[in-house]
Amino acid sequence: MSDTRDPDLTTYRDVQLSPDFTELRRRFRRFVFPMTALFLVWYFVYVLLADYAHGFMSHKIGGSNITVALIFGLLQFVSTFAITLIYVRWADRKLDPDAAKLRHQIEGAQQ
Amino acid sequence: MSPALSLSAIGLVVAATIGIGLFGLRISRTTSDFYVASRAITPRWNASAISGEYLSAASFLGVAGLVLVNGADMLWFSVGYTVGYLMLLVLVAAPLRRSGAYTLPDFAETRFESAAVRRICAGLVVGIGTLYLLPQLHGAGLAVQTVTGAPPQVGAMIVAVIVVINVAAGGMRSITFVQAFQYWLKLTALATPIFVILLAWHQPTGVLDSLHGAAAEWAEPLSRAGGRAHPLYATYSLLMALCFGTMGLPHVLVRFYTNPDGRAARRTTVVVLALLGLFYLFPPMYAVLGRTFAPDLVGAGGDTVVLELPGRVFPGTAGDLLGALVAAGAFAAFLSTSSGLTVAIAGVIDQDLLRSRLHRWTGGDYVAVNSFRIAALLAMVVPYLAFTVTGALSLADTVGLAFALAASTFCPLLVLGIWWRRMSTTGAAAGLVVGGIAASAAALVNVTGGPHGGWPRALVGQPAAWTMPLAFLTVIVVSKLTPDKIPAGTARSMVRLHTPEAVDVDRGPGPATAHRALPTARRS
Repeated sequence: MSDTRDPDLTTYRDVQLSPDFTELRRRFRRFVFPMTALFLVWYFVYVLLADYAHGFMSHKIGGSNITVALIFGLLQFVSTFAITLIYVRWADRKLDPDAAKLRHQIEGAQQ
Repeated sequence: MSPALSLSAIGLVVAATIGIGLFGLRISRTTSDFYVASRAITPRWNASAISGEYLSAASFLGVAGLVLVNGADMLWFSVGYTVGYLMLLVLVAAPLRRSGAYTLPDFAETRFESAAVRRICAGLVVGIGTLYLLPQLHGAGLAVQTVTGAPPQVGAMIVAVIVVINVAAGGMRSITFVQAFQYWLKLTALATPIFVILLAWHQPTGVLDSLHGAAAEWAEPLSRAGGRAHPLYATYSLLMALCFGTMGLPHVLVRFYTNPDGRAARRTTVVVLALLGLFYLFPPMYAVLGRTFAPDLVGAGGDTVVLELPGRVFPGTAGDLLGALVAAGAFAAFLSTSSGLTVAIAGVIDQDLLRSRLHRWTGGDYVAVNSFRIAALLAMVVPYLAFTVTGALSLADTVGLAFALAASTFCPLLVLGIWWRRMSTTGAAAGLVVGGIAASAAALVNVTGGPHGGWPRALVGQPAAWTMPLAFLTVIVVSKLTPDKIPAGTARSMVRLHTPEAVDVDRGPGPATAHRALPTARRS
């Protein structure tokens, strides 16, 4: 580790208590936790539907052999991918600029 | 099936693996190269490597086998394997990278300031890794047995020896190249026979029709077709294990350190999900075709369906060629996953068990890299011994148990450790011990032939749904009871974990002692 300077504990506490840091953490949690819960619910509801809504799930679309269950199953993969893209775009657009702001604050404090 | 052709194909994969490994040896020079490839791998290479490493015997052979035997429920394995990456990305990847720790024990030590918690984590990494290596060795044994009729020990031994040589020679850098190559090999090997079958065969609807007669139940979700009781519980439990277990798999986590920064880590995950989704389209097709062409395999557990299907559909040269290709792909799967796991386990054995002792015994007269090489050998010896004494459980089921153990131990440690300020060191240790004992007990009962039916079988076969909440609860209750054991540096850890990497704060002592010998720029 090239970084050998003494940890400046006051700065850490300052950062920890600063509104910008709290806001950064809060914003991250407010986005990530509900989204995680939402997509878990979507997977779990799918399984539940498969168990209790056989009629609905085995409904054939347009007289073909393709059932609702099959479509929903494929959607599991599609939705996983969509959620990831949403997260990445959000992190690029929201998280990184906020982080840059915080950096200026800390670097200002240390100089 | 033609043994000569398949063996040459397997030989080619092995030769290519060793060849790329040796090439990697020339460019891996520092300790940092060994462990995390100097954090200098581009997202595309890294994503191919992550996918290559992740798609194990369970994905290549096991999922198709389980779907063949048990029906559509088992498709959750492939969905869960993919979702686990998403959970890892959104909940823990970024904070863990910022912690500056290379491994889970490193993270535990810096966050909880406790050598005891570190040692428990080291033990768990070895436990999870061993449980995960076990089905790779069984898969290798099964593949060589299917191709040549040789006893299972032969295939397992081949994989064990090659992996140890390769890991000891090149560490992470060479492994990255090997694994990126092996992802594409696996995808080609799995996809080509399916395309050939679908092209050569003029009424693909015939297969779908065959699912509506006697076998109609098999295609229905949660049908109990394979005689598995309580499918709703089992599916939920499996989903929990796979969603929350991925973040605790030692060989997966270390990969996120090989990205140069957090942005690249996010890019990598997107590509990984695309690559995994693409791959998982194929195993179910083997299962559906297997129902038509190889129904006799249902009774035999189904794990060989991928290997045998080409020969069943095309008796003759075409089948032999495709069979050889699939056998080569399967070997790529065993080798790549085993290599990644062995690197991760060896890293932990090296740092936590071996190095200090070696230092004492030799009076400091040893080279750090040699300690890692001995550790690589040890990392493979234990699973190999376990392989010789355990029976062949379904490949994907054994891997599921490794995920359950990870979900019941490292998931609470990481999620609460990153997000909950009032977590105490005692709480962390208690959660690891309780979750670890519950899940490993279930795993042990399983691999030694567990209960046969009803709730006991469901609860022990898919333990995550009760072991994971139990571990979370233990951490929370014990932490509440021991507020005086909250680490003194929690505020500091939280700043380090949650301040994006661009911010130049001192991230603390960081990776364990060993890496300081050869410092490299961490923020490149």
